[in-house]
This record gives sequence, C-alpha cells and structure tokens, in this order.
Amino acid sequence: MKGRLKSGIVATALLLPLLSLNGGLTPPREALAQDVEAENYSFFGNRRRTARFLTQATFGPKWSEINGLTGTSASEWFVNQTKLETDYALDIIEEYREAYQTEEDDINDLIASARNSAWWRNAIEGQDQLRQRMAFALSQIIVVSDMPEAVETFPQAVGYVQDIFARHAFGNYRDILEEVTYSPMMGFYLTYLGNEKADPETGRMPDENYARELLQLFTIGLVELKGDGEPKLDLDGNPIELYTNADITGLARVFTGLDFAENPRTEDIEEVRPDVWALPMAVYPDLHSPEAKNFLGITIPEGTGAADSIDKTLDRLMSHRNIGPFIGRQLIQRFTTSDPAPGYVKRVARAFNQGRYVLPDGEEVGTGDKGDLMATLAAILFDGQNRLGSAWRKTDYGKVREPVIRLTNWARMFDADGQNPEYAPELFSLGEIGALSQRPYGARSVFNFYRPGYVPPATLAGARDMTVPEMQLVNATSIPGYINIMAEYIFREEADDEFFEELQEEFDESDIDVDEAKARTALVPDYSSLHSIAMDNAALLKRLDAMLLYSTMSETTKSNIENALEHEFFEEYEDEEVLDEKVRHAVWLIMTSPDYLIQR
Amino acid sequence: MTFTRRNFLRTVGATALAGSTAAFAPSIFSAQAASVSGYKALVCLFLYGGLDSHDMLIPYDQDSYNSYRKVRQSMINQYAGGSRSRSNLLALQAGSASNLGGMQMALPPEMASMKTLFDNGDAAFVSNVGPLIEPVTKSTFGNGAALPPRLFSHNDQQATWQASAPEGAQEGWGGLFADAILDAGGNAGAETFTNITVADSGPFLIGKQAFPYQIGFRGPSSVDALEELSGFDVSGEEADFGNRLKQAFIAQNFNSGHILERDMANALRGAFDANDKFSSAARNAQSVTTPFGSDPVSSQLKAVAETIGLRDVLGTNRQVFFVALGGFDTHDAQAAALPARLKMINDGVSSFSDAMKELGLNDSVTLFTATDFGRTLAVNGDGTDHGWGGHQIVVGGAVKGGEIYGSMPEAKLDHDQDSGGGRLIPTLSVEQYAAPLGTWFGLGASELATALPRLGNFDAGPGFI
Repeated sequence: MKGRLKSGIVATALLLPLLSLNGGLTPPREALAQDVEAENYSFFGNRRRTARFLTQATFGPKWSEINGLTGTSASEWFVNQTKLETDYALDIIEEYREAYQTEEDDINDLIASARNSAWWRNAIEGQDQLRQRMAFALSQIIVVSDMPEAVETFPQAVGYVQDIFARHAFGNYRDILEEVTYSPMMGFYLTYLGNEKADPETGRMPDENYARELLQLFTIGLVELKGDGEPKLDLDGNPIELYTNADITGLARVFTGLDFAENPRTEDIEEVRPDVWALPMAVYPDLHSPEAKNFLGITIPEGTGAADSIDKTLDRLMSHRNIGPFIGRQLIQRFTTSDPAPGYVKRVARAFNQGRYVLPDGEEVGTGDKGDLMATLAAILFDGQNRLGSAWRKTDYGKVREPVIRLTNWARMFDADGQNPEYAPELFSLGEIGALSQRPYGARSVFNFYRPGYVPPATLAGARDMTVPEMQLVNATSIPGYINIMAEYIFREEADDEFFEELQEEFDESDIDVDEAKARTALVPDYSSLHSIAMDNAALLKRLDAMLLYSTMSETTKSNIENALEHEFFEEYEDEEVLDEKVRHAVWLIMTSPDYLIQR
Repeated sequence: MTFTRRNFLRTVGATALAGSTAAFAPSIFSAQAASVSGYKALVCLFLYGGLDSHDMLIPYDQDSYNSYRKVRQSMINQYAGGSRSRSNLLALQAGSASNLGGMQMALPPEMASMKTLFDNGDAAFVSNVGPLIEPVTKSTFGNGAALPPRLFSHNDQQATWQASAPEGAQEGWGGLFADAILDAGGNAGAETFTNITVADSGPFLIGKQAFPYQIGFRGPSSVDALEELSGFDVSGEEADFGNRLKQAFIAQNFNSGHILERDMANALRGAFDANDKFSSAARNAQSVTTPFGSDPVSSQLKAVAETIGLRDVLGTNRQVFFVALGGFDTHDAQAAALPARLKMINDGVSSFSDAMKELGLNDSVTLFTATDFGRTLAVNGDGTDHGWGGHQIVVGGAVKGGEIYGSMPEAKLDHDQDSGGGRLIPTLSVEQYAAPLGTWFGLGASELATALPRLGNFDAGPGFI
C-alpha cells in the first residue's frame, strides 16, 4: 500500500514535464518563459502553420488572415475569438421575416429557409468563426434536423437550437443539454413533446425515444469507457454495457409532461405560432409521471416533478465517467483527426472533466467546472499531437474534410459574398441534402451524416481498424456529385439577365422581387488577385497551394493539374477571361484532389 | 478563345446518396465453389427505423382481433378512414405450411397488391424474426440466455440484422454471400457489380471481397463537364482536355504514403472506373417497360430492375441489391405515418414483381425485407416504441408463397414470447431467415456457415423458398 502510493508520486513527478508539452499543467518554472514563448508562437509560427490551424478552427482561412496572423499569438487569437459577439439565428430569421414577408402570417420559401440562410451567412461572413465552428461541431453530436416536413415552415424551430449551441459554444455542456432538452424542436424530433405518463388502463407507456438517444448519443454512449475513450473489457474480453432496457423505461418517465409553452396538446402542429417554437417547453404537471424513476443506479423518488427530475437526470449524466472521453473523442473528430490516439483523447477528456486548460501562452481558460467547453476546445486545438510537425510525421493523422466546410473554405478564401445565401438557391434548398451529402441541421436521422465509430471497409484505414466518419459519405455517386457541385460554385460568375430571370421565376412562388444588387454578388468569387500570376503555371499553383493546402501539394497532384493547365485552351495569356478560367480550373482540380479532401 | 460556363461546366449534379465507395479486391479461388449457373439476384428492402409489423400483419379472427383492439384501441381510432377496423382489413387465407395456432391474419387496406401477390403464390410472410445468439424463451430471457448486445438500439440492431454484430461490424451476410459467388468464379470481369446499393447502405453488402457499388435512382453518376467534353470529336482538343481533367480527378500516379489520402485516391479511381463501365453497359440495356410509381421504394426498385436488365451486357450472374425506406420509427403519429409507407412498399414491390415477370426472371429474383426491430404492441399515446422480433415479407417466383411461416405470437400482452410491452422475443433468428435465401442463391453448407457464423446455434428454419 505504502509502496504503491510512493511510486505513484514518483510517476506523477516524472510525467509532469512531459505533460506540460501538451498544455493542461504548468511547466517547471525555470523553463517557463522560454517555452511559453516558443509554444505560443509555434501555432502561428509561419504561414503554413497559421493556415493549418485556421483550417481546423474556422470555416476556412482568408488569405488576409493567414498573412495577418502569422507571427502573432495563437492563444490570444483563441481568447479573442471567444469574446466576439455572435449574430443569433433567431435575429436573422426575424430580419428575413421583415424583409420578405408580403402579407401578415405569410410564410414563403425565403422565410421558411431563413435559419439555413442564417447558418451560411454566419459560417462564411461571421467574425466569430471559432464559435460558429464549435456550434456546428456540437450540432453533429446533439442532432436535430429540419428534414421532418412538419417543421419545414418554422425556421424558429431549428433556429432556436442553433442559438443554444452558439450561446454555449464556450460554456458548459450541461447548459446545452438542459436547454436542448426543453427545446420544442428536440421534443418534436425525438417525440417527447406531449409525452404523457403511463396509463395502466390502456397499457400506454411513456415514449422512450429521447431517454435512449440522450444516453446513447448525447452523453455517455453504450459501453463503459476508460479515461482515454477505449472500451473497458470484462474478464471475457467483452465490452461492458452501461444499461439495460429497464434503465431506459425508468428514464423515459422523466421526459413526460413537457409540451409547447402555449397551446399544448395541439392536434395540428402546423397551427402552432412560429414564436412558440422559440420558447422552452413548459411543464404540465398532470401529465408528468408520478412514479419513481430508476436508471443508472439512481432513484428519483416518486412524486418528483418534471423540472426537478430533469435536473437530477442531467446531474447524474454529467457525473458519469464516460461523458468526458465520449464527448471529447467526438469533438476531436470534428476538428483535427478521425482516429485520435488514446492519449490525445485522455488529455481532452481531462480538460472536459477538470474544466481547465492552460493555453500555450500560459493563460488558463475554463471555469473549473466539469463540462467546460472552452477548456475542451483549447485542449483539442493546442494538443502537442496536433502540432504540424508532430502530425505531419504520422501517416494516419487527419480527417476527410467535411463537405460543407469545403464549400465555406472556398467562399471565404475567394471572397464570395455570403451575406445573402438565399440568392444561391442550392444553399437554401429545404428538402434534400443535395450533392454535398451534408446540410447543416439537415441530417437524415439523429445519427448524423456519419457515425463516429464508422470504420471504412475494404480500405487501408479499415484494415487498421481506424474510425473515419466522413468516409461514410464517399461513394461512386457522391464523388462525381461533389465534383459537379464544386464546379457550380467555383465557376460562378456575376449574375447576368438570364440568371435574374431564372431566379425571379423561383422567387415568384414567394411573390418577391429579386434584388438585382444582391443577386449580382451572392456567392460570386473574386479571383482577380491571381490574374497577374496566372500565366505562370508554377507560380499560380504555388500560390493556390499556400491558400488551400498550406503548401503541402504532392508532386503527382501538381503534375496532374499542370498537365490540364498546359492545354491549348489556356494559351492566350493576355486575355483576362482566359486567365480567370485557368484560375478556376486550378482551384477546381485542387479542391477535388486527395491532397485537399484529406485534411492532415 | 473564351469559355462560356453555360455550355461548358454549368450543370448541377443532382444525384447524391450516402453510402460507400466502389472498390474490389481480387478474388481468391476456393475449392468449395458455390453454384453460379444461370442468373439469380437477392434484393434486400431495408425498413429503417423499425417497422411495426404488428400493424402490417394484423390479427383477423374475431377473438384475436378483439384482443389486439383492446391493447391498441386508442391508436386504432386515429387511422384515417377506419383503416384498422376489422371490416376494412384484407384477410389472408394462409396455406397448409402455415401454423398459426388457429389465428387468421390480415393485411391493412393499403397493401392490396401484396395480398394479390400472396394469393398468387408469389409472396409469403415469415413471422417473428429477429437477432438472436441462441434460442431464447421467456423463462431464459434475462435469466441466463445469451442475448444480442444492445437490443432496442437503432444503429446497433440495424448492424446486427445486416452483419451479425452491433455497430462497427464490417461484413454483412449480403457481402459474404457475394464472396462465395466470387470465390466460385461468378461475375467474372464484372465483380464490381456483384453488390449494388441504391440507398444509404450499412454493412450488409460488404464482404471480404465484395463491396457495394452505389447508383442513384437514374443509374450511375457522372461528371457533367466530362460528359459535355466527350460530346465532341474524340480526337479534338475538347476530348484531350477532358482526358486531362479526368487524369486529375482519378489522381493518376498518386503515391502518397498517407493512409487516408491513399484510401481517398483509391475511392476516386474506383468510382470513375465503375461508373464508366456501368454507363457504357447502360447504353446497350434491355429496357424495362413496366410502369413504376414515383415514391422512393418504386424509384429505387425501378433502378434495380433496370440494372438487372443490364446483366448480360455487364456479365453478371449473381447479384445482391440493397434498397431502403426510412421513417418507420413511429414513436409518434403512427396512424398518420405508417399507412403511407406500407403503401409505398405495396406499390414498389408489386411493380418490381411485374418487372421481373416482364424480364422473364420471376423465378430468378427474390426480394425480402429486413428492419431494425419490431415494435411494442403497447401504445405510447399515438405511437409505439422499439421492440425486437417482427414479421418479414419475401417475394418472388421461387418463394413458396401464400404462406405465413414461423409461429405467430398471440395478439395480447404477457404471452410466452413477450419480453415486456409486446416486444417479441424472436422465434426465428436472422440466421434461420437468411439461410434459405443463401441456399437458394447457390451457397453450400460451409459457405453459409461462414456467412452466418451463428447458424449452427439454431435448427433449420422454415423452407420458405
């Protein structure tokens, strides 16, 4: 006993300096000043590093940011980002309603899709990039979708949830769970809005949908995890399941008695006033289960009300040992790498659990409460494993870029105007996921576009049992689909009369006149700064390599693209239009190359 | 010269469905060859979300219906047009191979064409099928019986149905069936097209060699710009430019040592190769004239029928297809949601059956359903919750139709197969359901045992085909 204790202390002391490389603990004093300086500036140490860091942390770097931030402190950038104001989706929806409502209570496509427009505008134009990116990551763990037709005409339904993620992007995970639990959208999506206590007469039981997904997807998963996110095994080598259906049945009683804050028990969801979707659900005590609620080893005594029961439930889930590694690993997958090493997960989970992280410049962030997301995100981005030098040596580090982030990356890099996404109809289309195979808050189910545990079969990654979620979207149909949709944007030109006419036809359905000034520039890229080097293939590719690939283009990709650019189509160097076409083709071929599709 | 985007690069690719890449690993010859003569295809219609088959195969004799109505009264009243009243149900006269313990079953009115297929001997039902590790009874349930992990969880039970293990399972029995065919030299030169999906497929079609090729409703996808450029003279500058673009798109000579980059490059090349081959075959297709509806099941099965029409041009003689419909997770508003979906199954499957007859392949193609799980018999207000066993549909000329196989649980709560709330403990395992399909497809006993590792834990199931 004594010996174990002693060696434990020794081991801790030995580990300290090593751990400090990864942040999270204070380095030895004598080395502090020098190391802090080196650490702090390393993330923005040169244009490659800056571009890579911003690729991970934002919806894509702008060329001016790469140049402007290089040589500055990444820690400061991180902290400054967390302080920026955000444009809330509900405010933008209201702006759209004012701009596009033709008659009172009239819903048209432009208003109905306003939450989608809000998302694209914030992703492309928002200054608070880190917050927006974190909110998007969270929205892929706690999933709601406007795919159900019934909510299509209520942008406030999803908009309200978007704002929860934006508001608490650097706050506490428990606050998100609580606000989402009360949101009418989640109540509707996972079918506990209007859910009632059991009725022994008819045999009716409380709906179990939210109880199950709250555990399985939003908080602790299915099996016991070690601190590093790997499953704990029993003596027979099998994973240990955390709960049985009895736990689900017990927990389902908690989510009874919640309904719209006004006009509960509505028969027709379309009759609900739009702003009621943006109010937390209210508790209707008569409909709440009076029975005791047993799950995960706790008992919420009989007679406990809904609000109190939800509180106790979320406390129980936040106290669970799984939540740190379970959420931490998935967040890592959204930002940096698909199959993180256990040590990386462990460090991120520790930041989540301790609610603190020391940035490379020595500043501590986080409140110290379990579930602190600012500390968690800092731990993901500033981890030693994620530094370019370290990551680049590994042949399995990185991820498939998310399709919508490829598009925002292009729009931001080439200054395509994202203020009015409704003028780029493919972005605001309501129904289908479209050729990108991904649409913000538009997954086909609560399981998101891809699963965190997806191991791509018949691949090198699969042979090594690597999880690569986004690879789930890659197939013989989506590959040409992506190439086509990127052409649609990359080759987009300032709108002409023909385009106005086509757009007006679509807008006619909503009885709205096309604003030609907005239509002229919406999502139109500007490549003019590249014209002066476009006659020189090597110079053009070198610049685009720096802009899109942080100067990592492979020789084979370079040679394949040069071969296309050397075609006689592009020979008339003095013609601006030919130069512009050449730039467009180069951008297109880079953004469809394996070098780009994989973010290393 | 200048470009104008409208006639050159400007057409949006509108087809995209999630799924998996086309790829194919070379075949290893196995001494014990499956039979690959003639043409046969299996079509899996997967019902995502968990079909409430209590609401598809409905108790009809007066006593059973009364008992069913007692449990489901509140929801039965919510169906438009009283479609679940006994008088509106379509009673089935099951044949002598059925053992319903005195019960009679019926279909809901929206499945009239399914009844016709049943009556004509082209369709059968297999009752209470679900994932099992070993046979389970009410007394061994929760009391020592080995149970499939993560029962009642969507993604895990989808994976278990498709690939005998929860999420993360890599090889499904559709893929392993295909492996046996490839080992026996089936589909020589057209291996890529052995397994084809029109939907968001899970592991079902993946084997050690076989891998699903993804198509859209309208067949394979292409890069619009390359299509445009290929419309010009093959020796002209446009065609040359198209070739250069394509060389970049397939990442010619790509030699990165990075695992994900290599996988991506392989996926790009594999997709272009397969799409090119398929498109060229489609130009010489046997056309299918049977009309199909525009609902998702009909659209997908039409694409399957058209692909089967290419079998001689592609050179395929054994294929496994995957189509799917979502929206069966009817926790809520089941009375409004489910009938529309059952109608899609009804319409799509009956058109498909007609199309196979048109191609002269009615005896050569078998369609079967699968789903996450059945649902509770108990009602949660206006819907039902996750269950376990459920009833499945099998369709085709080879099926011994007009029968309801397996054993039908009583239409009440707390019977011998009820694990609680009317969640059925399956009386037939997925293996017992899959094995006759595999045997019909051409697999031998040892190949079946490889594809269905737990098959040996169970007796032979009903010989429905």
